[in-house]
Amino acid sequence: MHPGVTPLVEARDVHVHFGTARAVDGVSISVMPGEVVALVGESGSGKTTLIRALQGLQPVTSGEIRIRGAEPEWKGRAGRRTFHDPGIQMVFQDPTGALNPRRTIYEIVAEGLRIQGRRDDEEELVATAMARAGLRPPERFFSLYPHQISGGQRQRVVIAGALVMEPSLLLADEPVASLDASIRGEILALFRSLVDESGLAVLVVTHDLGLAWNIADRIAVMYLGRIVEVGAVEEVLAEPQHPYTRALLSVVPGRDEKPQLLKGEIPDLRNVPSGCRFHPRCPLLQSGLLPEEVAARCVGEDPGRIGLEETRAAACWAVAR
Amino acid sequence: MSEPVLVLEDLRVTYRTSGGAVPAVRGVSLEIPAGGSLGLAGESGCGKSTIAGAVLRLLPGTAEVSGRVLLAGKDVYELKPGGLRAVRWTAGAIVFQGALHALNPVQRIGDQIAEPMLVHQTVSTPKAAKTRVAELLESVGIPARRAAAYPHQLSGGQRQRVLIAMALACDPQLLIADEPTTALDVMVQAQVLELLADLRRQRDLALLFITHDLSLLTTYCDRLAIMYAGRIVEEGPSGDVFAGPSHPYTRGLAAAFPRIGDRSSRMAPSGLGGDPPDPAALPAGCPFHPRCPLARPECREAEPALRISGPERRAACILV
Repeated sequence: MHPGVTPLVEARDVHVHFGTARAVDGVSISVMPGEVVALVGESGSGKTTLIRALQGLQPVTSGEIRIRGAEPEWKGRAGRRTFHDPGIQMVFQDPTGALNPRRTIYEIVAEGLRIQGRRDDEEELVATAMARAGLRPPERFFSLYPHQISGGQRQRVVIAGALVMEPSLLLADEPVASLDASIRGEILALFRSLVDESGLAVLVVTHDLGLAWNIADRIAVMYLGRIVEVGAVEEVLAEPQHPYTRALLSVVPGRDEKPQLLKGEIPDLRNVPSGCRFHPRCPLLQSGLLPEEVAARCVGEDPGRIGLEETRAAACWAVAR
Repeated sequence: MSEPVLVLEDLRVTYRTSGGAVPAVRGVSLEIPAGGSLGLAGESGCGKSTIAGAVLRLLPGTAEVSGRVLLAGKDVYELKPGGLRAVRWTAGAIVFQGALHALNPVQRIGDQIAEPMLVHQTVSTPKAAKTRVAELLESVGIPARRAAAYPHQLSGGQRQRVLIAMALACDPQLLIADEPTTALDVMVQAQVLELLADLRRQRDLALLFITHDLSLLTTYCDRLAIMYAGRIVEEGPSGDVFAGPSHPYTRGLAAAFPRIGDRSSRMAPSGLGGDPPDPAALPAGCPFHPRCPLARPECREAEPALRISGPERRAACILV
């Protein structure tokens, strides 16, 4: 896909199990420098657990994680291993909850640096990060408190707090879900410009396909612990292959197609259906239009995992591969 | 044409706070015909949820209300307590967001749905109520045997369905839905909203749908009203307003919901920038002028009134 370029982060067949619940059940994904990857799925798909694993916070049950081509510096004993890499920073949703109301904007942005020990160039680094996040001139914001700035500016403070660590990868979990519609655009534009201007990469977890259309280069669709479809945003959203992706796209409001409602909700992670895990809800299988031998496979045989090297793939027996 | 199910005439709501009077709704007039649907959109603090509360007189004591609210022909603010109880649930019912907080955690859902029916005596015996609860649950896609369940035993989508069943218990003519699906996943949201659309068709139920998500309103409502700083700034048939907004605020809000496949929004997120104004300190003139990309000097002077901007359309902007 990007021959000769080392991914910033790479997961190979990663599993995260909580007892019998397989939250992440064999996922391979990579993020390259200078790209935005959208990880899309509903609650219970395992997307948040996956990015916690990529950040080093969530011990993995099995599988391999590589950061810039190398094994991370694991800490802790087997089965509980975590890692910390300042090159990977997290941007949380809900800026109001993420910011300490008793700290100044300067102290909030400097916090990550201070945890690593005081340094002489702190003020310069803080000012640079704030300017990159669009808080200009930064000095004007230094002594303000969170309640004294706007909602959009608060989300920029959260982003500046991540940028001050000079990361190469930002992980963002629903970064605009709790923001007013009018602020959404400016924050998404900020992510895109950070990527275009400085080669930063962003892995954004979202349920919002419009967000992927707005800023992402690639998209991975997760269902019940697995990636079921992956590819370039234009291709996947223009011609989705997996029936789950098609259904998700059909329920985006304002589309000129009949919504394909899936029955019920995502099954419990402790009871992953046999065969293709989507088969009990699959509209294609339920339509009765699949050839008998394909339908039998859907029910009885796991379509397997999508590999890292594939640029466009769907884990579905009904899709020609 | 039959009598409208809801009429608001110059509705004004002001909250008394320790910091002084805060106007939340500043003169809103609108109408919903029997069986019709209106989507009310706007950002946090624009006054849209205050309107929901004002219609059923559910606002806190610190709210001062003036103007008129006619629900099924009755002036809600002239009613005595008994009359008010009668119109709540039977003429108009409300579905709130956050079903977890709206339901009583220690009462079985069947009993919660039965309660308004028994209070309003739309059924005469507990046994009849039970039968009706079973019908209502089935109609919202929940098996009748789940009546014995407690709210925590249901998923978020099922709890929202229970709230809809409860709202329908006394056969209202108008349903007010205030962000009914905000906390739900996209697929569950679509399930709930399609259910609501089906129920409306079957029962000729009118809908006042309140949300910040303009794209949802376009799909589920005949008409749209866009609120900004306590007033309606644009109104019209929903498809026309979304596809060709007259007011610069509507244009900014609509752009925040990209059409997937539309090349102009690919890698180009857009929005308005800035924050909604503080209701306690509104800018002079048109309250939108500080954020308006098209603002002129005269926009600072007087607040524009709603004017006709097309067939069945009105907008409050001097550029219209």
